[in-house]
Amino acid sequence: MNNKSRWFIISAILIVIGLLSVGCAKETAAPTSDQPVTTTEEAVPTEEIAPVDATEKSQIVIVIAEDPPSFNATVGQTGFDSLVMELVMLSMADLDEAGNAFPELAAELPTVENGDVVIDEENGTMDVTWKLRQDIQWADGVPVTAEDVVFTYNAVVDPEYGYWINGIDYVDGVEKIDDYTAVVHYNTIYPGYLTQFGGYVMAIWPAHYCKAEQGFTQWDCGLQPLSNGPYILKEWIQNDHLTFERNPTYFEAGKPTIDQIIVKIIPDEAVRKQMLINGDADVDMWTVEPVIAELENYKDVVEVSLSPVDRWVMRIFFNLAAKGTTDAEATPHPVLSDVRVRRAIRMAIDVETIGKEFFLGYADPVWTEFFRPPFNVCDIPKPVYDLEAAKALLEEAGWIDQDGDGVRECRGCTTGAEEGYPMEMEFITYSEYGEALDLTQEFIAEKLGEMGIKLNISRVEGTVLWDTSTNGGIEQSGNFDIDIWDDGYSGNDPTDFLWGYYYSTAAVPDAGLNYGRYINPQVDELIDASYTLDEGLRQESFCQMAEILEQDLPELLLFTTVDANAHSTRLQGVQSNANEIVTWNVADWTLK
Amino acid sequence: MLIVSIALFILVNLAPGGPLSGRGQSRRMRPEQVAILKRQFGLDQPLYLRYIFWLIGNDWTKIDTDGDGIKESYGQGKGILRGDFGNSYRTRQPVLDTIQNAFKNTAYLMTVTLLVVAMIAIPVGVISAVKQYSIFDIAVTTLSFIGQAIPEFWLGLILILVFYVWLKNPVTGDSLLPPGGMYTLGASFSLIDWTKHLILPVTMGVVGWVTWYSRFLRSSMLDVIHQDYVRTARAKGLSLNKVYYKHALRNALLPLVTIFALDLPYIFAGSLYVEILFSWPGMGRLYYQAAIDRDYPMLMAILTIGTLAVIFANLLADIVYAKLDPRIHYD
Repeated sequence: MNNKSRWFIISAILIVIGLLSVGCAKETAAPTSDQPVTTTEEAVPTEEIAPVDATEKSQIVIVIAEDPPSFNATVGQTGFDSLVMELVMLSMADLDEAGNAFPELAAELPTVENGDVVIDEENGTMDVTWKLRQDIQWADGVPVTAEDVVFTYNAVVDPEYGYWINGIDYVDGVEKIDDYTAVVHYNTIYPGYLTQFGGYVMAIWPAHYCKAEQGFTQWDCGLQPLSNGPYILKEWIQNDHLTFERNPTYFEAGKPTIDQIIVKIIPDEAVRKQMLINGDADVDMWTVEPVIAELENYKDVVEVSLSPVDRWVMRIFFNLAAKGTTDAEATPHPVLSDVRVRRAIRMAIDVETIGKEFFLGYADPVWTEFFRPPFNVCDIPKPVYDLEAAKALLEEAGWIDQDGDGVRECRGCTTGAEEGYPMEMEFITYSEYGEALDLTQEFIAEKLGEMGIKLNISRVEGTVLWDTSTNGGIEQSGNFDIDIWDDGYSGNDPTDFLWGYYYSTAAVPDAGLNYGRYINPQVDELIDASYTLDEGLRQESFCQMAEILEQDLPELLLFTTVDANAHSTRLQGVQSNANEIVTWNVADWTLK
Repeated sequence: MLIVSIALFILVNLAPGGPLSGRGQSRRMRPEQVAILKRQFGLDQPLYLRYIFWLIGNDWTKIDTDGDGIKESYGQGKGILRGDFGNSYRTRQPVLDTIQNAFKNTAYLMTVTLLVVAMIAIPVGVISAVKQYSIFDIAVTTLSFIGQAIPEFWLGLILILVFYVWLKNPVTGDSLLPPGGMYTLGASFSLIDWTKHLILPVTMGVVGWVTWYSRFLRSSMLDVIHQDYVRTARAKGLSLNKVYYKHALRNALLPLVTIFALDLPYIFAGSLYVEILFSWPGMGRLYYQAAIDRDYPMLMAILTIGTLAVIFANLLADIVYAKLDPRIHYD
């Protein structure tokens, strides 16, 4: 045998050994219904799904970009964890596509009307009684009880391994009344109580299964959940796929109808799209605008579900304090502290064109925080795009391009800036959103540049933009002029959201999200007043707030961004829900 | 190694951004959440203490676990010197377990890739040199430049477009090749199936390396075959095949072996683009995710092990070189 042949044979043997060594790796044990979860160790990743005999087992494939960190979406909040959590875990109440709460573990929603919410007007406190359904059980046959609710609360507030959830500071304790009744004692009136232990980031965990000593943020049951939802986790191969099978003991009779769900991790967007078109995937989570537009050409195989209500609003954040400072009164921003400048900037942004050209028509103009039902009744006029009026307003504000260099300077401006101070600022966004936002940023900078406002654009990672002040986070430390990014709130209660962005206390670095350092005692009072269950009073407060915000313009709300999920035409019942994650109603999905 | 670890630790921890900022849906991380995470991740400690804890653990000292300002219980970390690289900030699981899983997949892909590279690059480089300026040589040279110029990610997309989207299996009507992954889920083990899943990612990985290695070997071979001992061998009447493949090739391969050994750490590190595009759950993706999340324990573990792999590969290159070239001695 010559050397050439010998090398060839050695190489061939090595390849075969390599293949066999991976192929013969230890397989994960197939769990029984008594063992509903599987270990992720020693697992071998897979990709393509072998065809399944439709008469035997129905199967769908969901493709997502990242491996979920765990099933405890409260901790990770990546959205990917919510997607899988919704498959296996139930919460007290969830949100439908209109943003209305509906009961899951609860027999009915507690309200003042049905007597389950009792308000102590004198002390400003309230008690909420949750009555649980008595026909829901964990996958091991143990009933879901009030014990689990108390256990979950205690785990969340554990000082060592707990976490913080919205409004948890308002809870004094959760008390078990009987096996199927628990009372949440609030030290204030908290309008967000319905989804505090629900929604897409919070679930109720099994007291008999999760190990309290491991802690809420890192317990094993977050990786190997015991199901009480429509599906049971059968296999999780990290960074590759998760396999779920129908929970035979799910409480809704006849549901779910699909036997198996495979969630596959496909990092590349183009590949996810193509798998959907080729019929190798059934749901593509969070479909972006260009892909939605492209999928219009494949209507015979793919549909795109759009959320009927919008949540995410692209908005411009003005720093009202001088760049690098955090006190808008002591050190006002030399340009942006004049509301006329902010208003002129709004007049110069062509929202319609941006929505049409860069967001491909999947963006709706928005100009007030109160654009969603039930609080979308405030009479705030839609702003007008008017470049000439914007220029006039800038001149009225004392910003004139006297030296003819194309950039306006302070010529009698009232912001405290020196005479001749140029109207030049940094304009930041985050890089992860993608091309649509990049183009929007460039477009706005170009248009404002044409009227003498020079914006130097820059893009940073979200983790740099939103980091803590102590770690040099751009927004928390006030190290910006103008930012653009999207945010919004889930559900129908904006109270916590408004507090976070507009309350004066939230303007302190690392104490809130009032990055613009907007201080208005009237707004504080109105936010305080909105912590009530009196819907009429809330409506009144919100409309007053809407008027003040319209007058002060601490932020510019521009347009909503789409919440969409593409799915195969054979899969029915998929309903995108901006308040939730696409699997929120997975039990209702059917195959044609 | 100690100096490298200090440098890495400082760079990783002081890079802009951090694990306490939101991303994805959680872009609005609340201050209350930040305070809790800071404590749970040990980020409430000064940098030098964090390094010491990372190195030797914190089970010898009391720490404040509940944020009341009182150090009430001993830590649980053992430190990397005792084999504990800590828990991932993302999954809260031991980072070594995750690395172990990803490493197997990357090692599999990269071993096959490097073997294919060697199998193609060596004969191509040798023939190009032996038949210098022939049509084959010119064609290979042209293709090499094209191969080096093609962006890896673009090549991968084209491969998917051609073999997954356009070309179909004439019998079944399915796509000719899968768009990624390691094998067909739910199917029993089949060498053909595994090979099918390897073709596209390996092709994407191989192109750049083959062009580089073959050009290198061609150049090295040309140097050798013009040396006196080769001419002497030919003058003594040895066949051309024997002269080129027995005498010249062995010497021409020496520098290539060194380069090959230095590339061995890729078996640990993987290829990010290949793994992303072909949904390969390996080290490249793991590192990328950790970098995006600022998952310091995961980043430090990968970087530290990667550093060790580079040191080991250099050592290996030196040893192999000395073995192959009797003129080299390490006294």
